Amino acid sequence: MALYKYESQVRPPLVDGNKTYHQITEDIVRPIEARPSKLWWTGFLISVALLCFGIFSVTREVIYGVGQWNLHKTVGWGWDITNFVWWVGIGHAGTLISAILLLFRQGWRTGVNRAAEAMTIFAVMCAGQFPIWHMGRVWMAFFVLPYPNSRGSLWPNFNSPLLWDVFAVGTYFTVSVLFWYCGLLPDLATVRDRAKLKWRKFFYGLTSFGWTGSTKHWQRHEYLSLILAGLATPLVLSVHTIVSFDFATSIVPGWHTTIFPPYFVAGAVFSGFAMVQTLLIITRKVFNLKEYITLEHIDVMNKIIVLTGSIVGIAYLSELFVAWYSQNPYEATAFMQDRANLFTPYGWAYYIMMSCNVLSPQVFWSRKMRRNLTVTFFMSVIVNIGMWFERFVIIVSSIYRDYIPSAWATYYSPSIWEVGFYLGTFGLFFTCYFLFSKFFPVIALAEIKHILKKSGDGFKEKMGEAEKEAPEAFAHEMAHAH
Amino acid sequence: MSEKKYWQNFGERNSSESSRKLAENEFQEDLPMESFDSKGLLEVKTPRRDFLKYLGFSTAAATLAASCEVPVRKVIPYLNKPENMIPGVADYYATTYVSGGDAVSIVAKVRDGRPIKLEGNELSGITHGGTSARVQASVLDLYDTARLRYPVQMVNGLPQEVTSFEAFDKLVSQSMAGQSGSLVLLTSTITSPTSNQIISEFLAKYPGSRHIQYDADSFSGMLLANEAAYGKRSIPSYHFENAKVIVSLGADFLGTWLSPVEFARQYAKGRKIDEKAPEMNRHYQFESLLSMTGANADERFAHKPSETGAVALSLLAALGGNVTAPSISDKLKAAVAKVAKDLSAAKGKALVVCGSNDMHIQLIVNAINEAVGANGTTISWSSPFLTRQGIDSEFSALVDDMNAGKISSLLIYDANPAYDYYDAKKFKTGLEKVKTSVSFNGRLDETSELCKYVLPSPHFLERWGDAQPKPGYISLIQPVIAPLFLTRPYEDSLMKWSGNSTGSYDEFFKKYWEDKLGGLEAYEKALQDGVLESKTTDAGVVNPAGVTASYNGSKLADAVTAIGSKKGSDLELVLYMQVSMGTGSQANNPWLLEFPDPITRGAWDNYAMVSPKFLKDNYDIDLSDAHQADSFEVHPERPVIRIKANGKETTIPIVPVPGTAEGVIAIAVGYGRESADPKNTASFIGRAVPGAGRNAYPFATSNGTTVDWSATGVSFEKTNEEYQVAFSQTHNSYEGRTSVIKEMSLEDFIKDPNEVPEERENELKKFGGIENYEKDGTLYGYYDKPGIHWGMSIDLNSCVGCGACVIACHAENNVAVVGKNEVMRFHDMHWLRIDRYFTGNYADPDSVQTIFQPMLCQHCDNAPCENVCPVSATNHSSEGLNQMVYNRCIGTRYCANNCPFKVRRFNWADYTQADSFPNNQDQHGVGVLNDSVLMMNDDLTRMVLNPDVTVRSRGVMEKCSFCVQRLQDGKLKAKKEDRPLLDMVDVRTSCQQACPTEAIVFGNINDSKSAIVKERVDNHHRLYHVLEELHVLPNISYLAKVRNPESEAKA
Repeated sequence: MALYKYESQVRPPLVDGNKTYHQITEDIVRPIEARPSKLWWTGFLISVALLCFGIFSVTREVIYGVGQWNLHKTVGWGWDITNFVWWVGIGHAGTLISAILLLFRQGWRTGVNRAAEAMTIFAVMCAGQFPIWHMGRVWMAFFVLPYPNSRGSLWPNFNSPLLWDVFAVGTYFTVSVLFWYCGLLPDLATVRDRAKLKWRKFFYGLTSFGWTGSTKHWQRHEYLSLILAGLATPLVLSVHTIVSFDFATSIVPGWHTTIFPPYFVAGAVFSGFAMVQTLLIITRKVFNLKEYITLEHIDVMNKIIVLTGSIVGIAYLSELFVAWYSQNPYEATAFMQDRANLFTPYGWAYYIMMSCNVLSPQVFWSRKMRRNLTVTFFMSVIVNIGMWFERFVIIVSSIYRDYIPSAWATYYSPSIWEVGFYLGTFGLFFTCYFLFSKFFPVIALAEIKHILKKSGDGFKEKMGEAEKEAPEAFAHEMAHAH
Repeated sequence: MSEKKYWQNFGERNSSESSRKLAENEFQEDLPMESFDSKGLLEVKTPRRDFLKYLGFSTAAATLAASCEVPVRKVIPYLNKPENMIPGVADYYATTYVSGGDAVSIVAKVRDGRPIKLEGNELSGITHGGTSARVQASVLDLYDTARLRYPVQMVNGLPQEVTSFEAFDKLVSQSMAGQSGSLVLLTSTITSPTSNQIISEFLAKYPGSRHIQYDADSFSGMLLANEAAYGKRSIPSYHFENAKVIVSLGADFLGTWLSPVEFARQYAKGRKIDEKAPEMNRHYQFESLLSMTGANADERFAHKPSETGAVALSLLAALGGNVTAPSISDKLKAAVAKVAKDLSAAKGKALVVCGSNDMHIQLIVNAINEAVGANGTTISWSSPFLTRQGIDSEFSALVDDMNAGKISSLLIYDANPAYDYYDAKKFKTGLEKVKTSVSFNGRLDETSELCKYVLPSPHFLERWGDAQPKPGYISLIQPVIAPLFLTRPYEDSLMKWSGNSTGSYDEFFKKYWEDKLGGLEAYEKALQDGVLESKTTDAGVVNPAGVTASYNGSKLADAVTAIGSKKGSDLELVLYMQVSMGTGSQANNPWLLEFPDPITRGAWDNYAMVSPKFLKDNYDIDLSDAHQADSFEVHPERPVIRIKANGKETTIPIVPVPGTAEGVIAIAVGYGRESADPKNTASFIGRAVPGAGRNAYPFATSNGTTVDWSATGVSFEKTNEEYQVAFSQTHNSYEGRTSVIKEMSLEDFIKDPNEVPEERENELKKFGGIENYEKDGTLYGYYDKPGIHWGMSIDLNSCVGCGACVIACHAENNVAVVGKNEVMRFHDMHWLRIDRYFTGNYADPDSVQTIFQPMLCQHCDNAPCENVCPVSATNHSSEGLNQMVYNRCIGTRYCANNCPFKVRRFNWADYTQADSFPNNQDQHGVGVLNDSVLMMNDDLTRMVLNPDVTVRSRGVMEKCSFCVQRLQDGKLKAKKEDRPLLDMVDVRTSCQQACPTEAIVFGNINDSKSAIVKERVDNHHRLYHVLEELHVLPNISYLAKVRNPESEAKA
């Protein structure tokens, strides 16, 4: 009885439908055991097609050179690094949900963390493509790795933010994969145990690493989760901080800004949650999981979106203020002219960014809007368009007109192969996500069961009874509870 | 000491036999390899524990065998090494650049038998080692793939090879036999004494024959005017260095007019500032379009081309000449009054030059020069120019004769009237009527392909010869490479065909000069020097003891009448020459084609330059409006108009240039070359030619005696088309960024010489001021810079924007040509560029001022590019060089983004065919490489590459290296000779060496006696570093530009 006391009765339930443990297993494992639907096949094939186009685009770039893109002597980075930062940003929500919310004991994370973590991994995979393939001589990419070599031994330049990126993103990816897989183990074992087909038994037997569900296993599993959560927490902050150093440590007006690290992290969380929303709204619909991914989840995440969106908005305004206050003519040109002035060549991009990132998320101050699926879905897409433009504005509108006016650039717009590369990463992302949703439980089975007795609606109803319990009885129970 | 003995086992303790044996045998177990003996490899039982070993070895071996098969390319050493030639060591030979009438003394750098770079010959009393963009680029013409490789006979418009010179001679003599008409030798101006002698001997053999000289950029108006006024049909020498006031009426004397290399040097001499006693000449320019010379003027006045005569006449009237001033606009009137006042104040130190080819205008200019006392001071008749002798009326008479069928034989050398004559059609029809037409041009150009026989003459680097640009100044030509093709100097043909000699021109040449100079020794000395200058003339004398000519003003009245009858129109057209392309004779030179025009910064094309008002009136785009200018300039598309003038029309894109006179359209000649059948253009004229601009020569007119490069009564209509022009700079203003450009007037400089230092001090005072800025402007430590530290100084006052340095850098450093399509995509590779900015009010052409700023890697001591490279591919040398390690570069382009000067260049595509990926130059769709790029990769063209400089492959970054190969070479030379480095002798960068105005000084800034230190100390009131406040610590310093306009107060 006292168990009910752990959770406030005021908090809305996180699992609807008065589920039993068995029902949860049935609901979540169903998509894995059933044949994929036509919808799944359509989506999957479109993704693979996009991926193939992306591979073709990149192949052209590798064979013929970066000239296949419309970058030039003044704008050396364009869509490539914009997309890199955008994808890395998207990859932030997953670890934030799994690590920081785990440490903060946010029960609602269990409904969304699996998909969010998967999304993180796939987004980081997509992000990683850009810094690799944007190189002029990608076959020499291994030069960035610090290993003893026979070239003298030549060492990378540890002063370079690009090298920091290699480590930051590499570490983040590794820890995210470990964390995700660690959480998957008990669920994979569940699927294995239910498997009737031979290959399935074999595959899930292999991937679940011999999980038996013994207490020892659970204990170690919990420890590992906590350790990884502890490791991952600083990474959530560090990755985008370091990505922002690519710009902040340079001397390009519009890049050289001390506000970048917190502003990038907020922006990353912002776009990451938006992407989680986009995916989960589709997933819960397609796999009929609305009892696990409830409106409550959507609502909570929309709150984070309006919070981070506003942080980003303050950052934008601070930049403008500082550009004015510093009296630095180069910054003034970069911010007041090349961005905030609608009539300069890239002014339009700045205003798309402003309206998508700062103005439109303000609708989420209304609870009604936060719980409206259509609005949420629409907004989640808008936010990611806005965040894409944020990176584009930072990168392109800063370098296309910097210090020496003679080098001010011709108009940069992407070539078909730059767009193709970007579409290709969508292909990669969704191919992975479709495979993931088919072969892995999209909701953390074990964890949702863990909160069922605190946050399931059937149990919430019984909470009132705990109030009737005598204090002595409650104290006794507490003293003997673990 | 104890006798204790330690033992390992009982066997040892007992020293048993078996144990001793074991101890002796180091390898107690058999090596597993022994299982091989006598058995085949396949039968061997591989021990389990060796399995991985074998697997590893065999995989590695298989990989090596399969993948490391590299095609073997053999370097073949000399079987018999030529004397005096060491592979890898350059030889230098003095010779002469000749093209049209132009002659510039040069020194050719020859590596392993191939000329790869041309430098100015410092012994020349005319150019003193200066060169121009065209001279620098001419080495590439030697390796032009479109050069005609053997004599041909033209059959139905197609060349048929004639296998030997004898066969060719026979063909021509058969054709010439029994002709009744006369023979004419048509050439460009010939300044060679030996050639002239051969020509006169040849003509003597053919009664009724004549030699016609034809110049595409004709000076016949001036020649005739001088004949009328001074009794000499020649052009005097000018001494801009002696002039305090220079007035140019449309003469682009720094860029294309007469002898620009010489004039630029003289001009810059008068503009270098001595800080102790600052003074400089004042330059007024009246012109219709913004020329490079006009861009350097202190004050500029724009007018229509038809008004040139009226301006000259008003000036003469204002100077007290006995003429009445015609009516001109109030603005011009005020300008003329101002200029006249200045001119008369500077009597004897004034010079007026005029670019018009109208005899009457030149007569007025002669009168003006008489009035300002130029004759004998700034104009010298002691050694007149011989470089332009063509008289237009003689040539038009020839064309008439050809059409009348009076000419039976026409021999053409170095002239291409079928392209560059204003009435080329008439010339072509006349040429058809000539029975025997022979061309000695080096390629099947527009004229040669219409001739019956073509015997190509060798390139000047392959032949003997001489040139005499002025009497008393001889410049010798010696071959620096054996002829690449079956070519023969035209003099040889003339000698053979006249029957005067059985020998060759080479022998004639040697004998001629040996006789002249009195012996072999003197001859060889002359060849080594390259120049022969008699010191009795004003050669080398700083102040020419003025040689005057007596002036005769009798024709002045006629001139005044003629000018009075000249009518203008609302819209007028003027033709001009670009600094790079000139008359178009080097039209297949990708270096020149890719050179961005100093004014428009557009390459690979000509276009119609119009005033910003034209754009506003017709397209409603106002360039004074920042937003409209913004959206206009960031796209390469330019509207196309159809221009009609003198019954001819063409469609051409317009490029608005501030400073262009209103109602004037200016088009550059030299472009739009095309064979009779356009399909043949690439193979006959050159692969870089198709698509490069339109031919503007047909718009020229004739005023009866001379050809006039302007037209009145011009009309135009808009088309719906747009055309992409390849600009390498889009923004025209420096946005008031005084840390990029510093300029001031002479008056202000005299009043407050500390303006620049104070401004710098003010900017840097928070960080220790100028003195301590390097140490106090950073959180990081300070390091001494012992030894050599390279630095460069660029004087913005001396730089005239001619671009010789740009091409010199191109040639020295194997900078890739990227073609029009890639330049348009902002992918040009120039390591050194000349930024051009306009200031002033775009609506008022007279208020527009221009400044040039050579921009190259600043070799920052705290370089922002260096610390962002993840792989340290760019780093700092102990000598202060910011160096690029191509092998290490992986192409992240971060360095280029972080370079505030934007001087880094990335190899976006496989421009050089040096890539790891074969056959990747033929991409379709995005990033097409033009044929010109492929042409530059031809085995023949590649012979021009400098073997000391790596050819960069696709995907790596590159930039100015301060010609590090030259620095190393200089240091080694000094080391071998066991002496310290000689400043300005051992090491000079390519750009520095090419500069005709000595605007660039380079050297070791740690050597207190070096020229660079002297330059910086002597000019510290003008010295600044670009973007100094960023604390990137550039090693290049600039000297602020000083203009010398007539001050308002004084006026």
